[in-house]
Amino acid sequence: MSFTQANIIKIASLMHRYPQKKALVLPLLWLAQKQEGFISDEFINTIAELTHMPYMHIYSVASFYTMFKLQKSDKKTIEVCRTLSCELNGSEAIKKYLVENYSKNYEIVAVECMGACGGSPMCTIEGKYMENVTIEMLDEVLHGN
Amino acid sequence: METKIVSKNFDIPNAHTIEVALKNTRYESIHNLIFLKPQTVIDMIKASGLRGKGGGGAPSGAKWQLASDYIGEKYLVVNGDESEPGTFKDRQIIAKDPHLLIEGIIVTCFAIGAKNAYVYVRGEYEEFSNILQLAIDEAYAKNFLGNGAIIPIDITIHRGAGAYICGEKSALLESLEGNRGHPRLKPKKPEPEFYFGNPTLVNNVETIASVPFIVLHGAEAYRAYGTKDSAGTLLFAISGHVNSAGVYEVPFGTSMIEYIEKLGGGIKNGKKLKAVIPGGASTPILPAHLVKEAKLDYESLKALGSSLGTGGMIVMDEDTSMVKALKNLLRFYHHESCGQCTPCREGTSWVDKTMDKFINKSATHEDLQILKGSSKSMNGQTICVFAPAVSGVIDGFLKHFEDEFLECIV
Ligand SMILES: Cc1cc2nc3c(=O)[nH]c(=O)nc-3n(C[C@H](O)[C@H](O)[C@H](O)COP(=O)(O)O)c2cc1C
Ligand code: SF4
Ligand code: FES
Repeated sequence: MSFTQANIIKIASLMHRYPQKKALVLPLLWLAQKQEGFISDEFINTIAELTHMPYMHIYSVASFYTMFKLQKSDKKTIEVCRTLSCELNGSEAIKKYLVENYSKNYEIVAVECMGACGGSPMCTIEGKYMENVTIEMLDEVLHGN
Repeated sequence: METKIVSKNFDIPNAHTIEVALKNTRYESIHNLIFLKPQTVIDMIKASGLRGKGGGGAPSGAKWQLASDYIGEKYLVVNGDESEPGTFKDRQIIAKDPHLLIEGIIVTCFAIGAKNAYVYVRGEYEEFSNILQLAIDEAYAKNFLGNGAIIPIDITIHRGAGAYICGEKSALLESLEGNRGHPRLKPKKPEPEFYFGNPTLVNNVETIASVPFIVLHGAEAYRAYGTKDSAGTLLFAISGHVNSAGVYEVPFGTSMIEYIEKLGGGIKNGKKLKAVIPGGASTPILPAHLVKEAKLDYESLKALGSSLGTGGMIVMDEDTSMVKALKNLLRFYHHESCGQCTPCREGTSWVDKTMDKFINKSATHEDLQILKGSSKSMNGQTICVFAPAVSGVIDGFLKHFEDEFLECIV
């Protein structure tokens, strides 16, 4: 797997920003995931070559961070925060409702504090924040899915 | 009660765009730099009493001096990992007034002699870091950044990818070097951080955003707010069982209960207050009677057996189960331990599982002893302060609410 022409231009300009190529590991993993939807084995090899690091280094870094997806998934993702402020404001009921009603087309994942405690309960739909979530809001946004 | 130093422009429409920012004093402190020596700026920061706003409260001027004293290539790294539960303040700066952060970065780079700054933003904040990126692009176009600037520096946003521990400064630098986010062993005597072996200053987003005011108005103007040892203001945050959750900037020394009632809008549904976690999940809990005594500054919260942390308060009403609340937090720590140190990796797993027995009301006195012994098993044996913080959290719950745990013992 290789990066698109547009991404190669981006990578070239990023290279000047860091003292060593190794620093590009996270930015390149992000670019790969944006391009393909997940990080394939071939991309790990490509990134290893570009950063002059062994394959295993790239793999171990990619697997350390929860936001990197090493498997392809056809479903879209909804993340529901389960940490304290959200739990105090009803996140468990929100999660339950989502699992019962929208599991077919969405992967519903519980995540830790997303820095939106002031808008708890919160969730993200394909990465986009939704705060002070109610069941009505979810139905409105997810309707037809 | 609200005192808007850092949050001055938050409510101005489109304050994130450079046109509006320039009309509202942004980048003015840069002009002052023309007449100042870098050391003079560092001395101003020292005199202002500015303390780090990422949770530790370390005096900023002394840290700047450590980095500045080295000759050669240096870096500034801005910590925008913001993952401590209950904390959502840096995000307001990044999204509502990104030019304030950029201005602070320029001043700080000038003071310590750095040409490159990285802003490490947690991966989940993509929407917000995109706003910061647009602001950085605008600042390049207007020659506040890049080769054509008075102080020629580059700012690069580095996106995290979901790991609480990357907020710890040495783990953050590991992550920025392209590694797993594993904290490093701490040096014996004070020294700066190192990025690829080069001296580096790591400061929180809000710390850097506090710098322009000090350079523009002077150290004394900053010291006019707050207390003797906790100078200035903080973007305190409030969430949980309150009517008006949010981020409100007040001077250090403000009464906690007044903050909760006036700015937080009081407890939801007319309920009574039971407890507050004062400064992010890692600070020990305070029961209502201590909340009434507490002041929002480093000394007062320390005296009450807790700490100021990030200033993110989590408020709990009279119906909250303390057993369930502690379970929630221990699940978080179990999930987020980086796994390097055995006492932390095993300890967080053990206490988390032990809590299940309390939740199911099938705990024994030995289980209670496991929780009580956590400070012995997890303290002082680990690379970073994550593990000792967890035992501090457990001790806080047991100190003030042991009866609720005893009720779960068969
Ligand atoms: C487990 C752990 C998590 C941390 N998370 C953050 C964080 O998300 N943001 C932050 O600014 N500081 C965080 N810190 C504190 C940093 O290590 C560091 O002290 C801080 O970024 C220094 O900046 P300051 O002096 O301006 O506060 C964390 C510390 C620990 C031990
Ligand atoms: S104390 Fe925990 S989080 Fe810190 S380095 Fe050790 S294992 Fe990692
Ligand atoms: S606790 Fe859910 S966003 Fe912080």
